[in-house]
Amino acid sequence: MARMKFLCDADRCIECNACVTACKNEHEVPWGINRRRVVTINDGLPGERSVSMACMHCTDAPCAAVCPVNCFYTTADAVVLHSKDTCIGCGYCFYACPFGAPQYPRVGNFGTRGKMDKCTYCAGGPEADMTQAEYVKYGANRLAEGKLPLCAEMCSTKALLAGDGDIIADIYRERVVTRGYGSGAWGWRTAYGETVSV
Amino acid sequence: MIKAIMARMPAILAVLVLFAFAAPELSAQQINPTASAVQEEQLMRALQSGEAVSGRVTIVDPRAADLIKPGNKNWAADHGGMVKTINIVAILGILAVLVAFYLIRGKIRIEGGFSGRTIQRFNAIERFGHWLLAATFIVLALTGLNLLFGRALILPLVGEGAFGTISAWGKIAHNYLAWPFMLALVIVFVAWVIHNLPSRTDVEWIKQGGGLFKKGVHPPAKKFNAGQKAIFWSVIIGGVALSWTGVMLLFPEWAGSSSDWQFYQVIHAIVAGVLTAIIIAHIYIGSVGMEGAFDAMGTGQVDENWAREHHSLWVEEVKARENAAPGGAAQPAE
Amino acid sequence: MLVKRKSGEAARSRLASAVAGLAAKTVDRRSFLRGSGLAVGGLAALGGLSAGMTRPAEAGPVDHSRDIARRKNICTHCSVGCTVIAEVQDGVWVGQEPAWDSPINRGTHCAKGASVRELVHGDRRLKYPMKKVGGQWQRISWDQAIEEIGDKMLEIRERSGADSVYLLGSAKFSNEGAYLFRKFAAFWGTNNVDHQARICHSTTVAGVANTWGYGAQTNSYNDIRNSKTVIFMGSNAAEAHPVSMQHILSGKEQQRANVIVFDPRFTRTAAHATDYVRFRPGTDIAVIWGIMWHIFENGWEDQAFIASRVHGMDQIREEVAKWNPAEVERVTGVPEAQLRRVAETFATQRPSTFIWCMGGTQHSVGTANVRAYCNLLLSTGNVGAMGNGANIFRGHCNVQGATDFGLDISNLPCYYGLAEGAWRHWSRVWEVPYEYFVSRFDDVPAKGGRDARPATANMSTPGIPSTRWFDATLIDSEEVDQRDNIKAMIVFGHGGNTVPRMQDAQRGMNALDLLVVADPHPTTFAALHDRTDNTYLLPICTQFETSGSRTASNRSIQWGEKIVDPIFESDNDYAVIYRLSAKLGFADQMFKNYEMVDGKYSPEPTPESILREINRGGWSTGYTGQSPERLKAHMANQDKFDLVTLRASADVPEVGGDYYGLPWPCWGTPEFRHPGTHILYNPNIPVKDGGGAFRPRFGLEREGVTLLAEGSWPVGSEIQDGYPEFTMGMLRRLGWDADLTPRERGTIARIGGGDPERIDAVSWSIDLSGGIQRVAIEHGCVPFGNGKARAVAWNLPDPIPVHREPIYSPRPDLVADYPTREDGRQFRMPNIGHTIQQGAVDRGLHEQFPIVLTSGRLVEYEGGGEETRSNKWLAELKQDMFVEINPRDAEARGIVDGAWVWVTGTEGGSRARVKALVTERVGPGVAFMPFHFAGWFQGVDQRGNYPQGADPIVLGESVNVITSYGYDPVTGMHEGKTTLCQIAAA
Repeated sequence: MARMKFLCDADRCIECNACVTACKNEHEVPWGINRRRVVTINDGLPGERSVSMACMHCTDAPCAAVCPVNCFYTTADAVVLHSKDTCIGCGYCFYACPFGAPQYPRVGNFGTRGKMDKCTYCAGGPEADMTQAEYVKYGANRLAEGKLPLCAEMCSTKALLAGDGDIIADIYRERVVTRGYGSGAWGWRTAYGETVSV
Repeated sequence: MIKAIMARMPAILAVLVLFAFAAPELSAQQINPTASAVQEEQLMRALQSGEAVSGRVTIVDPRAADLIKPGNKNWAADHGGMVKTINIVAILGILAVLVAFYLIRGKIRIEGGFSGRTIQRFNAIERFGHWLLAATFIVLALTGLNLLFGRALILPLVGEGAFGTISAWGKIAHNYLAWPFMLALVIVFVAWVIHNLPSRTDVEWIKQGGGLFKKGVHPPAKKFNAGQKAIFWSVIIGGVALSWTGVMLLFPEWAGSSSDWQFYQVIHAIVAGVLTAIIIAHIYIGSVGMEGAFDAMGTGQVDENWAREHHSLWVEEVKARENAAPGGAAQPAE
Repeated sequence: MLVKRKSGEAARSRLASAVAGLAAKTVDRRSFLRGSGLAVGGLAALGGLSAGMTRPAEAGPVDHSRDIARRKNICTHCSVGCTVIAEVQDGVWVGQEPAWDSPINRGTHCAKGASVRELVHGDRRLKYPMKKVGGQWQRISWDQAIEEIGDKMLEIRERSGADSVYLLGSAKFSNEGAYLFRKFAAFWGTNNVDHQARICHSTTVAGVANTWGYGAQTNSYNDIRNSKTVIFMGSNAAEAHPVSMQHILSGKEQQRANVIVFDPRFTRTAAHATDYVRFRPGTDIAVIWGIMWHIFENGWEDQAFIASRVHGMDQIREEVAKWNPAEVERVTGVPEAQLRRVAETFATQRPSTFIWCMGGTQHSVGTANVRAYCNLLLSTGNVGAMGNGANIFRGHCNVQGATDFGLDISNLPCYYGLAEGAWRHWSRVWEVPYEYFVSRFDDVPAKGGRDARPATANMSTPGIPSTRWFDATLIDSEEVDQRDNIKAMIVFGHGGNTVPRMQDAQRGMNALDLLVVADPHPTTFAALHDRTDNTYLLPICTQFETSGSRTASNRSIQWGEKIVDPIFESDNDYAVIYRLSAKLGFADQMFKNYEMVDGKYSPEPTPESILREINRGGWSTGYTGQSPERLKAHMANQDKFDLVTLRASADVPEVGGDYYGLPWPCWGTPEFRHPGTHILYNPNIPVKDGGGAFRPRFGLEREGVTLLAEGSWPVGSEIQDGYPEFTMGMLRRLGWDADLTPRERGTIARIGGGDPERIDAVSWSIDLSGGIQRVAIEHGCVPFGNGKARAVAWNLPDPIPVHREPIYSPRPDLVADYPTREDGRQFRMPNIGHTIQQGAVDRGLHEQFPIVLTSGRLVEYEGGGEETRSNKWLAELKQDMFVEINPRDAEARGIVDGAWVWVTGTEGGSRARVKALVTERVGPGVAFMPFHFAGWFQGVDQRGNYPQGADPIVLGESVNVITSYGYDPVTGMHEGKTTLCQIAAA
C-alpha cells in the first residue's frame, strides 16, 4: 500500500497560489476556509522561500490523539480523514496540529466553531466513495477515481508533490542532486519523523 | 485596527529577528538569492519552544502565517498526559478520601438530635443562586469530563455515532450553560462575599479541624465556617478562572494564537478537575455526609440544634437580631 | 485502492440516527448568502459567512454514472496559454482537470488558471444589458441597447465625424474577435481603434520590429529550458506568468543556468535568481549600456555575428563608451562589480536569453529601452537560436493575437500599416472596393495651424492612443488633429483603471456623449464617473462560452472550444459586433465572406469562417497556414509535441513535423503544411522547418552600407547571401517563376491589375495565392528576405537609445544632464512631457514627493482586475489594496505594517488611501503598488456606482490615480512604472 505524503519543494514554489484555488475549485470550499495556504518565509529578503502547506497527513497524527470524539481515522493509504458527523468543533485538533490545518466555519450564536474542515488529500470522507453525500461534506474524492490531489496536480512549477512518500522523496532527492541545492522537505520531520536526506 | 496590528507586532518582529541573520544586505556586490535560500533545518534548530516557523501569508487570518509549529504536538502530549492525570488523581483521590472518611467517621449526626425548631439560613435568592450554580456546574463538569474521558469510557459503550451526537449536544450545553453558570457565580459572590471574609474565629475552627474528626467537638463559627469559606473561595476563584478561560475558548478570535488557546485550555481543564473534586467533597458533606446540612439549601430552614453545633456565633447573631426586632422573620415559612 | 473504514458505519447506533439533526447540515450556498446579507454587505459580510461545508447544490460532484463531456479551452488570463480542461455535465461546468498533454502547461495552472471555472458560475457577472437613466442603472433588452447605441453613434458621426467615436478593443478577444473588431473600425471609418497592447508591449512591438522585423517574442517559454543564462529585466514572471516558471526553473536546475534578475523590487522571481541586481526605476538604458561597456571593454562581444547579421553596432559602441562604471553607478545605483559579472556571464555563458515585461516598456523611453535590450542581445550574438533570444512575455491571453490583428491605431491586421497599399490589400481580401473605405473616413479640416487632410490621407494617419483618449475628449478641439474631439467611447473588454491620470480619465468619462461598456463585468469604465445618462453596459460572455483561436506569447495559436453556453443574457463578441454592424448599415458587406449561423439572440459568424478569411489575408505575418482544421488537430494531439522543441515527430498523423500551435510565421497556404516557426530568425534550420533570418524592411542599404545579411543564410538556402524580400519580379529574375502554378500566376496577375510593372511589384505579402512564398521556401529562402538587424533605428526619435530621466525624476541633477525629449506632437495630440519635467524640477517636486512609485502585477489578479476581483476564490486571497514601503521609509513616517496610509501624487492633488505593507522587498526611497484595484477613488468607496449585484467582491484604490504624465513618443505608451509620491499615515 502506498503511504501518501505531500512534499513542497520550496526552491520551486513561487507562491502562485494555484494550489489554494485549485482546492477551492475542486471542493467548492467556502470563503474563509483555507484547506491549503502558501506561507512565505523571509518575505522580501534574499533567501525568501514560499511553502505551500495543508494537512500533512502525519504519522501518529496529533489531531487524532487529542480528538475527544475520536472522529479521525487513517486510511490504508495513510491519509488522515475525519467524520463530520462525529466532529463537535471543539478545536482541539487545531491546538494540536503543527501545521494549522484544521479549519472551522464560524457558526453558532457566539461565532464559535462549526464542524472542522481540512484537507482530505482529495480522498473524501467516511461516506461511500464519490457520492453526493460525501461531496457535500468533504468535497471530491479524486483518490477513488485514481487521481492525486488537484493542488499538486495543478502546481504551476511542480513544486508541490503528492503521492507515495518514497516516490516523491526520490523525485525531490533527484532534483536536489541535479541542481545542487535544496532547502529541505518542509514539515517532514514534524509530520513523519523523518526527512529526505540527499 | 492599529491595536490589532500592534498586538501582532511582537510576533512579526520576532520573525524578522529570527530570520534576519539569514538575509544578506541588499546593497552588497553580489546577491545570490538561490544560494542564500532559507533552510528548514536551520530554522527549526533556531526555534524556541512555543515558537513557529512563520512568514507572510495573503489570507486575512494572521494565524495562517504560522507554517510549522512543532510545539503544538507538546500540547497534544500534555493533553493526553498531564491534564488527564491531574483530573484522574483529583477526582478519584477525593472519592477515595470521602469513602475512607465515611467508613471511619460515618455520617456526622446532630448530637443534640433534631430540636424541631428551625431558623432560616438561606433565603430564596441565595438558594436560587446556589442551585443555579450547582446545576450548571454539574452539567458543565460532566460534559467537560466527557471531552477528556468520554472517548475511553463512553464511546465503547454506545458506539461512535451516538457518542458523537451526545458529545455534540454536550458541547452545545457546555457553551450555553456557561452563561447561567457565570450569572450564578455573580449572584453567589454578591450574596455571600461579606460572610466569607476571613476572621479570627476561622483560626480556632481550623485548629480544631472543624470538629469533623471528633465527636462532640464544635468550634464556634459565624454564618460560614472556615471550611465553607474555603469552598466559597475555591468556587469563586475557580469559577472566575473557568469563566475567563472558557470565554477565551468560546471566542478564539479574541484569544490570540493557538499557543494562547492551548494555555487557556490547559488551565480550564486543570482548574475544572480540581474544582470538580472540591465540589464532590462539598456535595458529600452537604448531603449524605452530615445530618441536617441539606436542609440549609433545601428548604432554607435549618434545625436550631444543627445550627448551634455548627454555626454557634451565627445563631447568636440571628437571635440577637430577632430580639431587637420583635415580630421578625423567625416564623416558619407560610 | 482506498479502503474505507467500515467499522465506523457499523458502530453507528440507532440513537445516532434518532438525533442526527446535528450532523453536518447543508445549506444551499445562494440562500445562505442571501441570508447573511452578503449581497449588500460586500466584504464585511463575507468575513463572517460560511456555515459548515456548504456547497452549492448545483455544482455537485461529477456523476460518474453518466456521460461527462471534456472540453478543451485556453486560460483567459495571461499570455502563457495554458490549456484548460473542463468537465461538463448537463450544460454545467462541473470540474476542471489538469491538461497533462499540453506542452505549455503540462497540467498546471496558477491561482487564476486554477479558478477559471468560477468565471462562468460567477454571480457577479453583468447579467443583462443595462443603461443609466437619470443616474440609475436600468435593465434593458439587447434590441433596445443596440438600437439606441447605434442611433447615438450615427448622430455623433453626423455631428463630429467618424473619428469622434473611439473603439477600444481587447486583448481578451479571440483572434477572430480582434480581427472582426478591427474590421469593424475600418468599416466605420476610423483608425481610433486600440487595445491593451498600447499599455503593455506597444513599445516592445515598435522597438523589436524596428530592430529585426517582427514585434513578438522570438523564442518560447519552453525554449528557455535550453538557456544557460537568463536575464529578467522588469519582468516578474513568478507573479505575472507563473506557469512559465515551470520551464525556467526546470531549465535553471537541469542546465545549472544563471538566472539574473534586474528589478527595483526584490520580486518573487528574484527570490529564485542566482544574481539579483537592484537599480533605480527608469534607468534601464544606463544599466544596459553599463553592461555593454564591460562587454566591449573586454572583447566579449560576438564579432562574427555582428559582422554578418547586425547593422550599426559601431554607433552603439560609441554611445556605450560614455557609460563608464562610475557614471552608470551615479545614474542607476548599480555598483561596477555587479554589472561586470553580469556582462561576463551573459556574453560568455551562452545561449543567453533576455526577458522583459512592463518594467521595461511602461516608460516615456519605453521604445528606447526595448532597443537597448535588443542591442545587448545582438552584441552577444544571442538571437535566432535555441536557448537565446528576446523572450518578451506578453500580458493578456490574446494580446499577441489582438496586436497581430491590428487592434492598433497605426495598423491594419497583420502589420500591414495604414498606407494605401495596405488598405488595397485588405480591400481585396474583404472583397469590398477600396473607395468604399475612403468614403467612410472623415475629411479633416485645416485647424490649429495644420493643413487639411482628405479622407485618403486620414485613412493613413494613425489614431489616438488609448492612453490619451481622455485628453482627446477634454482638450481644446483645435489641439486635436481630427475633425472633432472624442465624443463616444465604445469599450469592449477593457478596464478603465489601466492608464495613469485617473482624475482626468474621470473627467473625460463625464464629458463623453456616449459611453458603451461591453464586458463580462462592469469595469471601472462603468463605475468611476458621475454620468447620469447615455451610458450602456452590454454583457459579453467569456471566451469559455464561445469558440475561437488565441495566440500565446510564443506565437503558438490554440483553438478554444466552447465549454458552456453564455450564461445569463450575455452573448459573444461575434454576435454583438454583427448586430452593431447591422444597425450601422454595413453588416452585409462586412460579413459577406462568413458562414452565418443562428446564435443566442441573432445570427452570428462562425469563428472558423473568420479564421479562413484571416488565412486568406495574413501573408505578411504568416497567419495563413493555420486553418481551423489544423489548429483543432493540434489541440487533439497535444501529447505528440516535444516539451522542449515543441515539435511533433514527422511520422505522427495530422500534425507530423509541426510546431505546437503553428507559431507564426506559418507560411503559405494550409495545404503547404509549413510547420510554423518556433524560433524566429533562426538560420540553423531550413525555412521549411521553421528557419529564418532577420527581416530587411528598412531598405537595402544605408549610407552606402548594405542592410542585407553578409555570409549568413538559412540552412539549405539556394541564395547563399543576403537578399531582399521576394516579389514576382525577383522570382522572374531568378528564373523561379516557372515554379508557380497557373492559378498562382493568375492571382498574381489579377493583383497587379494586368500591368507588367505592377505584377512584378506584387510581393510575398500581398500575393493572395501564396505562390511567391511557396516558391521562395521551396528554394530554401525566407519570403521576407535575409537582412541585418538594426542596432540603430534611424527612423525613430532616438536612433541610438539615449538615457532620459523619467518625467518625474527624484534627481534634478540628472534631469539637467539627461532631460526628456522636447515637447512635440504625436498621434494627433500634443506631448508636453518636457514642459512637465522642467516644471517639476522648477517647483522642487522631488522634495515634496521624495518616494519613487512603481507599479506591477499580483498573481491573484489580472489587468484592471474586475474579473478576478469578482472571483471569490481569488478575491479571498487579496482583500486590500496596499503600498509596499521600505521599513526605513515607514519608520521615518511612523507607519506600521498593515496600517492605513495616504499615498499622494504629483498631479492635481491626487491621493489614495491604502494599507501599508512594510517590506524590504522595495529599497529605501521606492514604493510599489499593484495596478489591479479600482472601486475606491481618492478615499471614496464607489461600490454604489456598480449595478447592484455586479460589483466586484474586492474594491480598492487604483494606483493610476497617483501615476502621472509621460508618454513614449513612438507609441504613446504611458509612464506607469516611474513617478513620484509621498506617503503618510492615515
